[in-house]
Amino acid sequence: MNSWWRAWMRWTLVLAAAAGMGSVFSRANPRPREQARQTAPQVTFNRDIAPIIFGACASCHQPGEAGPFPLLTYEEVKRHARQIAEVTRARTMPPWLPEPQELRLADEMRLADAQIRTIQEWAEDGSVEGDPADLPPPPRPAEGWRLGKPDLILTAERPLVLAPTGTDTYWNFIFHVPITETRWVKAVEIHPGDKRYVHHANILVDRSRSSRHKEAEPGAGFGGMEIRIESQVFDPDSHMLFWKPGTVPSVEPDGMALRLDKGTDLILNTHMQPSGKTEIIQPSIGLYFTSKPATKFPMLLQLEDDAKLNIPPEQRNFVVTDEFTLPTDVELLAIYPHAHYLGKDIQAFATLPDGSKKTLIHILHWNLSWQAVYRYAQPVLLPKGTTIALRYVYDNSDENPLNPNHPPVRVKAGNRSSDEMCHLWLQVLPVNYDRAQGDPRMRLQEALARHDVANDPRDFEAHYNLAAMEQAKGRLDDATKEYEAALQLRPGDAVANNAMGAALLAAGRPEKAVPYLSQALKTRPDYLEAHYNLGTAYSAESDFEDAAQQLHLVLQLQPDDADAEANLGSALAEMGRFPEAKSHFERALQINPNHSLAKENLEELQRQMSDR
Amino acid sequence: MSITLACLFQVLMAHAQQTALDLDGRPVNPFTIAAGKVVVLVFLRQDCPVSSRYAPVIRRISAQYSREASFWLVYPDRSETPQSIRKYLGDYGYRLPALRDPDRALVQQARAEITPEAAVFDRNRQLVYHGRIDNWYLEFGRARPAPTTHELNNAIQAALTGKPLPQSSVKGVGCYISDLQ
Repeated sequence: MNSWWRAWMRWTLVLAAAAGMGSVFSRANPRPREQARQTAPQVTFNRDIAPIIFGACASCHQPGEAGPFPLLTYEEVKRHARQIAEVTRARTMPPWLPEPQELRLADEMRLADAQIRTIQEWAEDGSVEGDPADLPPPPRPAEGWRLGKPDLILTAERPLVLAPTGTDTYWNFIFHVPITETRWVKAVEIHPGDKRYVHHANILVDRSRSSRHKEAEPGAGFGGMEIRIESQVFDPDSHMLFWKPGTVPSVEPDGMALRLDKGTDLILNTHMQPSGKTEIIQPSIGLYFTSKPATKFPMLLQLEDDAKLNIPPEQRNFVVTDEFTLPTDVELLAIYPHAHYLGKDIQAFATLPDGSKKTLIHILHWNLSWQAVYRYAQPVLLPKGTTIALRYVYDNSDENPLNPNHPPVRVKAGNRSSDEMCHLWLQVLPVNYDRAQGDPRMRLQEALARHDVANDPRDFEAHYNLAAMEQAKGRLDDATKEYEAALQLRPGDAVANNAMGAALLAAGRPEKAVPYLSQALKTRPDYLEAHYNLGTAYSAESDFEDAAQQLHLVLQLQPDDADAEANLGSALAEMGRFPEAKSHFERALQINPNHSLAKENLEELQRQMSDR
Repeated sequence: MSITLACLFQVLMAHAQQTALDLDGRPVNPFTIAAGKVVVLVFLRQDCPVSSRYAPVIRRISAQYSREASFWLVYPDRSETPQSIRKYLGDYGYRLPALRDPDRALVQQARAEITPEAAVFDRNRQLVYHGRIDNWYLEFGRARPAPTTHELNNAIQAALTGKPLPQSSVKGVGCYISDLQ
C-alpha cells in the first residue's frame, strides 16, 4: 500500500531533549557561616570558597568549556574575586533564570543566599587562600565525550565563520544521518563548536529532508532564529535535545528512545555571539544507540498566542495570556518558555480539576541569552481537565535596554530576533489513556489546533494542523475544508497545496487534486512529495504518460525511493511497456525486498509476459 | 657630592620602576612619544571577554582619530607575557602599540579600575576622562544590541576642542584590575 498522505505539521523550533542542565559535579555544600566562624574567623578560599566554585562554577569555567576563564585554582579565582562577588550578588552567575518554586526543577544552578554572603565576605576580606589541608579535590576535567565514545559522530560539513562584530548570529547546521535502517537513540551529546561563543543549541528532527532546500548549496547551512520542520505523517516531536553552557548530556529513561529512520536529517539550531575576532564554529553531535525501541511516547505541546502580540511603542507592560485545557491525563516532564528581547516577566501555571494551582515556571527577569529547557526533578501529573495558562509581560519602551529598536517601534510576532514571540513548549507523556480511543497524542494535537484556530482564525498553521488531524482520522471533508481555509490565507503555499491535493486523492477525486499539486510545484519545483502525488493523480486518471514523467522526476530527486519505482513500474505496465516496467519493479525490490506492491505486480507482469 | 649622586640615582630608579614597558621590555612613556597629540590609553586583559569583544570598536575609534590622537593598549596583568600579547594583537587585528604596565604606573595615572576602560588625556597631559568606552554592556553577560551613548568618542572630542564633559568618569562593566596580583 502506497502512502500518499504527505502531511505537514508545524513543530516550530522543536526541541527534543536528552540533555539536562546543570553541573557534572555535585552541588556545593558549604558549611553554615556560623560554624565557620567558630573555628576560624576568616573566610578562606580552601575551606569556604573552593567547594562553592568547584560545585557551581567550574563545570563551565574550565578549559574547553563555555566559561571565558578557568576557575580551578586559588590564583584563577582570586584574579576575578570582585567580579565573582558582583555577579553572584546580582545572581547573573551561575546563569539560572527561574524563581524558586514548589515543583522542583532538575539540575538547579542556584546559589543559596548563605553561599553568596560567603563569597562577598571573602572578596572584601582580601581573598585569603587559607590552609592547603582544607582544599577539596578539584573537579574532574570535562574532556571529550561525557557519555563515552558515541556510536555515531556527525560533524557539520562546513563550519560557520563568525564575524568579529555585529549582532547575535542564528545559524542552522544540517546533519545527514548515515544510517541504513531505523535506529533507536538513547542519548545525544551536542558539541556546539567553540562553547565560549555558542550561547545555546538545539536539535530538530527533520524526518523528510524538508530543510535542505533552505541551503544556498548543499552543506552550507542556513540562517534563522526560528525554523519549522515539515513532517509527512503524524509523528510529533517528542524530545527536547538542548544544549546550553553547563549542560551535561543525559541518557533517556528506558522505553523513551528517539526513533531515527534512514534519510532523517538532524538540524542544529544555534545562537552565537561575536567575540571580537573571527571565530570558526564547527559543531558535532554524538549519537548513542540502544536496541530497545520506544515504548513510551512523549510529545511536545506548543502553546502560543502570537496573534495577540501587537505591542505599541513605549508600552512598558504589555501582557499576553493564553489557556489550554488538557483533553487527557499527562505527565509533564520538561518545560521551555521562549520570548525574544522584549520579554520581561514570564510565567506558566496549571490549574488542576480540583482547583489547586501550581506554578510551572516563573522567570522574573527574562533573558534570551540564557534561555533553557527546564526538566522537572519528578514528572508532574496533570489530569485531564487541567488548564495550563501562560502569562508573558513585554516591555517595548526605551527603558528596556535590550529593545532592538531605538527609538521603539510597534512590534509584532515573527521569526526575526527583532520580532517577538510568545511560546511555551511542554514535554508531556500521556498516561492513563484508553487505547481504544486512539493515539492520545493525536487528541492533544487536535485540541491544540482547535485552540489555535479559535485564538486566531487567521492562523495559517493552525488551520493546516487541524486539517492534518482530520485527514489522519479519515474525515476528508473536514480536512479539505480546513486546508481550504489555510489556502485562503496563503494561496501559493507549496506544502498546503500538496496536502490538499493528497486529501483529494485520498477522497478519490484526482481531477480536483491536479490543480493543487500543480500549484505546489509552481511554488517549489523540486518538491518531491508533490511530484509523487501528481504522478499518482495522473495514474488515477489513466494519464500514464504524464504519471511516468512525474515519477521519473521523483527518482531524479531521490534515487532510492522504492514507492516511486513501484508506481513507475505500474504506470509503464499500464502502457504496455513491460520490459521497462519489469526493471523498475526489480529496482523497487532491490531497495526494499519486502515491497508488496512491487512483488505482486512483478509476479503479475511475469505471468502476463509468459502468456504472450 | 657623592650624597647628591646617590639621591639622584634613587630618583632615577624610582622613575624607572614606575614606567610601562613595550613588548621588548623597554621603558616607554607614551606622553613624550605622542607630543602634541591627545593620548588615549585603553586598558585590556586577555582573560576578560568584555575586553576582547570591544576590539572592533577600539580599532574603529582609533582609526577615526589616528591623526589627532595617539592610542595605546595597556595590559596591567603581570602574568601576561609579551609573547601572549603579540598573539592576542594578531588574533584581534590590532595595529596599535601595546604596553605592559606591571607596576600599574599608567593604571594610577589614568585611575583605571577595570578592563576594558579608556583614559583620555588632552594635549597638556590633563586627564579629561576615564571610564567606559560606551554603554554597550549593562552587566556581565547582558549587552544592548548597540550602545546608545559613546563616552570615549565624546571624551576625545572634548580633549580636542576643550569643551567640558558632563562627567569626567563613568564606571563600566568589566574585570577588576585590583583583583590581579
